[in-house]
Amino acid sequence: MLVSNSGPDATSRAVLRLLVEKLPGLSPIEGGGGSEPPISSDPPILRAAQIVEGSALRAIKVPGLSREMASGFGAFLDGTQKVQVIGHIDGLPIVVGTISSAVRVRVNKRLVTWGHQPPRVERALYLPLRYLTALSAEGLGAITAAQWRLVDTSTADRNGEYPSQHPAVLLERAVRAVDQQREELEDRLAEAWCALGESPLFIDGGISRTPAVAASTCAVGVIKSHRTLYVEGDSLKVVMGLRRGERSSVFRVSPRSRSAVLSWYLRQRSPEGHDALWGLVRVEVAECDRPAERADEISRWVLAETSPLALPDGRWDKMSYGIRDCEEFLRAIS
Amino acid sequence: MSEALGRVVATERKPNTPHEFHFWTAIDSPVGIGTIVRVDGAQPIDGQIPHIYGIIVEGFSYTDLQSPMHDVLGHDGLPTSAGFASTERAEIRLYTAAVLRQVPEEPLQPVPMGQVFLAEEEDVQVALRMDSYLKEGAATGIPVGVYRAGGTDAVIYLDADFLLGPEAAHLNITGVSGLATKTSAVEWLLSSLFTHFPEGKGSIAAVCFNVKGPDLCYLDKPGRIEDTDKTLYEKLGVDPKPFESVQYFAPYTAKGLSLNTFRNNEALLDNVVPLTWGLREVLQFAEVLLNKDDVDAKADALIDFITQNVIDKEFSDPLLSKKHKVQSFADLEAWFRDVLQGMEKKDGESWRTHHVATIRKVRNRLSNISTRCAGLVTDSGAVSDLPFGSFADRTVYVVDVANLEEDAQDLIFARIVSKLREHLERRDLGVKHLVVFVDELNKYAPGDGADTYVRKMLLDIAERGRYLGLVLFSAQQFRSQVHRRVVGNSGTALFGRMDPDELSTPGYTVLSPATKTKLATLEKGQLMIRHPHFTQPIFVRFPRPSVMQGREGAERYPQASEVPLDIAVFRSLRPLDPGITLPWVQDLTALYTEDEIIRARNATLLARPENVKAYFTAQFRKVIPAQPAARPMATTIKSAPENDPYGF
Repeated sequence: MLVSNSGPDATSRAVLRLLVEKLPGLSPIEGGGGSEPPISSDPPILRAAQIVEGSALRAIKVPGLSREMASGFGAFLDGTQKVQVIGHIDGLPIVVGTISSAVRVRVNKRLVTWGHQPPRVERALYLPLRYLTALSAEGLGAITAAQWRLVDTSTADRNGEYPSQHPAVLLERAVRAVDQQREELEDRLAEAWCALGESPLFIDGGISRTPAVAASTCAVGVIKSHRTLYVEGDSLKVVMGLRRGERSSVFRVSPRSRSAVLSWYLRQRSPEGHDALWGLVRVEVAECDRPAERADEISRWVLAETSPLALPDGRWDKMSYGIRDCEEFLRAIS
Repeated sequence: MSEALGRVVATERKPNTPHEFHFWTAIDSPVGIGTIVRVDGAQPIDGQIPHIYGIIVEGFSYTDLQSPMHDVLGHDGLPTSAGFASTERAEIRLYTAAVLRQVPEEPLQPVPMGQVFLAEEEDVQVALRMDSYLKEGAATGIPVGVYRAGGTDAVIYLDADFLLGPEAAHLNITGVSGLATKTSAVEWLLSSLFTHFPEGKGSIAAVCFNVKGPDLCYLDKPGRIEDTDKTLYEKLGVDPKPFESVQYFAPYTAKGLSLNTFRNNEALLDNVVPLTWGLREVLQFAEVLLNKDDVDAKADALIDFITQNVIDKEFSDPLLSKKHKVQSFADLEAWFRDVLQGMEKKDGESWRTHHVATIRKVRNRLSNISTRCAGLVTDSGAVSDLPFGSFADRTVYVVDVANLEEDAQDLIFARIVSKLREHLERRDLGVKHLVVFVDELNKYAPGDGADTYVRKMLLDIAERGRYLGLVLFSAQQFRSQVHRRVVGNSGTALFGRMDPDELSTPGYTVLSPATKTKLATLEKGQLMIRHPHFTQPIFVRFPRPSVMQGREGAERYPQASEVPLDIAVFRSLRPLDPGITLPWVQDLTALYTEDEIIRARNATLLARPENVKAYFTAQFRKVIPAQPAARPMATTIKSAPENDPYGF
């Protein structure tokens, strides 16, 4: 998933002109946008997981590693999102969010866009409607008439509480909304792929959000960020101590409100001279009968995808080239 | 309509302009340097969708790799492991095209974004503005080759009005030697010209100077062509056959026995005519052979005096021992001898204002000409020349000077071109348009060096010939070494495979590096063309000439070696009369001197009479056969008395 933040582009400027007309007092923001890059604010945590391969988490050398090993992945899925603060009224942020997602299929070693489901790009306007008293019903109608989807960032939460008018709170709400919609977009594409069951799909991120994908043998999720580590105690040492080409024992991840999937850690690159998470990814697959064999096979595939390097992307130690290709593709079309 | 093969792209760093644009294609797209493409604009201008035609002049390829080091790291420094990667990096083929034409032409704008298509045959005609002279009523197109790219085969035409005048004229060919470029291209182009030159524009002929090797010596003999060539001939609308009408001209060897040409094989002599000139012909062009040091104002005055008052006139002077009528170098030598002897007798230092030293100098230089140009210049004054005044339509006249000394080559070139020019000015050459082909132009019209008579003549043709119908087709290996005004006046230029050193000279800076690379690696039968209608150079293929190549001809018809005089005479007369035999020649010539026999043969070859035997015999002076002397009647010898030994 690629997250970026920038000032208004041509599409955003069009809606900005409309808003200036309908929202007296709106101050447009020109140039590079007015906020820090929106990143997840979830706190890093350790969480216990049920081990399904053996009785304790241990390091396992992935068997059959060689330069010649082939990857079984036939396609890659990733999504991007872009959050643009295009203006404000009395500090209330006016946000345009752009989300996109695509599946890139490998044909003769080259990646092309999946023909069955075209890549998707969606845009929406994120407004704190509750506090935008200056925006009339006629103004709202004009925005929707211009084919812009409106997302209210000032709705009440599960507890019925409304967010404060603090610009940072409203901006964070907008970012979370964009994030959520991007995930939904990716999920829809992943479901479509799994429904056809063509070949294994390398998904950037987890697979547990939708039951269909979580249960599909076609879907393999590869997670690069480790805000949540599914280890505790000595298991943490095992994972941090994984060497290149080693994986952890398979464990089960069962997040709340999500489907249970099998998972394991895999060290793609030697961490010597780097931080402990260097080259470390967590892989998710659907439940299966022989988790150890499955983990070995998928690990070989993931390791095979480390060439060519995903450089110049800064996450190249964990990122496969296919995912970088998806992101570059989406950057070009969105 | 064919599928789009690319898309126009432009960035701030690499913007499109009215004369250049960029586009990308699929990796396996059938385009390359020299491919012509068409861009269809997306937005109409003045109600018309713009079409832009361009030719690819540069290509780029790159991946998303930021540094080569990343690839090294990605494969652990092992190139062999790169092949095992599951995915190949995203790669681009980006091309730069030079604009050939924009339709509509006004307003001239930068090339817009749009889809790029491979140009089809009709597109090529429009792109190169050939539509203006291929349309009905114009039809001045002369096929020069076939443009071929991505399945498109399009005939490329030159405009006769711009190739042979009057709009522009002349053609120059550059290319390295030995790759069948220059001579082959000219042979092919003459075939095409003779086939397609519009009837309404009058007659056309060519004079080719064969300055080296046997390449032009077999133009009337069929050559070997392959199926691919036949296809090209068919496409270009030219019959793959040798020239129907060719005449060869060559001087004799220094000994005067056989013709000094690669084409002196007995089987080929039927259309080979000796080229011999006498004193009058040479003296008109003495300037060619005499350099500035030789001919100062005084010497020039004496030569003028001789030309005006002595040559072909009854000349008498109190100083001279007799009347002179100078018609040959031999006569001139006798005249000089008489003048100098007369001056010695009188002990005079000058005669008719000419100083004795000047007379001696001019005598020395002029007498020397017949030695330096032996075989071409005859002492006797016999003249055998090109058929000035009766040139025939679609005929090639080849003057073989390949084996001659440089002086003789210069003399031949200067005189023939001057005569051609004179006749064309008077409109009595026999044809309306004449192509003169000269190879090795960097020798005859060099950019630096002395300002020779030949160079002046070539400059004159290049600058003014088109008004007369005199068109120069020239060739050389190094265009940069040829006088700028000669190549600059060539409306059309052909380039075969080029030497990289030559390509690095300033004259080629207008070409992109990729175009230069292509030029340096052109295959046989490929040319790059510049023509007034084409805003960019175009690459074409042309068929192998359908005439016998020099090497093959030299093997099949070996050059005749020097033979005894009787055999030489027999060989040269037999093509005129197959009934002539060697014994007949031997019997007839047995009593005559070598000079007499050669003179008789030359006269016969020049006259080409119906009764060759009779004419040849008539050239000899009468020789009364020797009669045995009758024994005189012996008178009786008186016997002397025995005792009177004195007979008294």
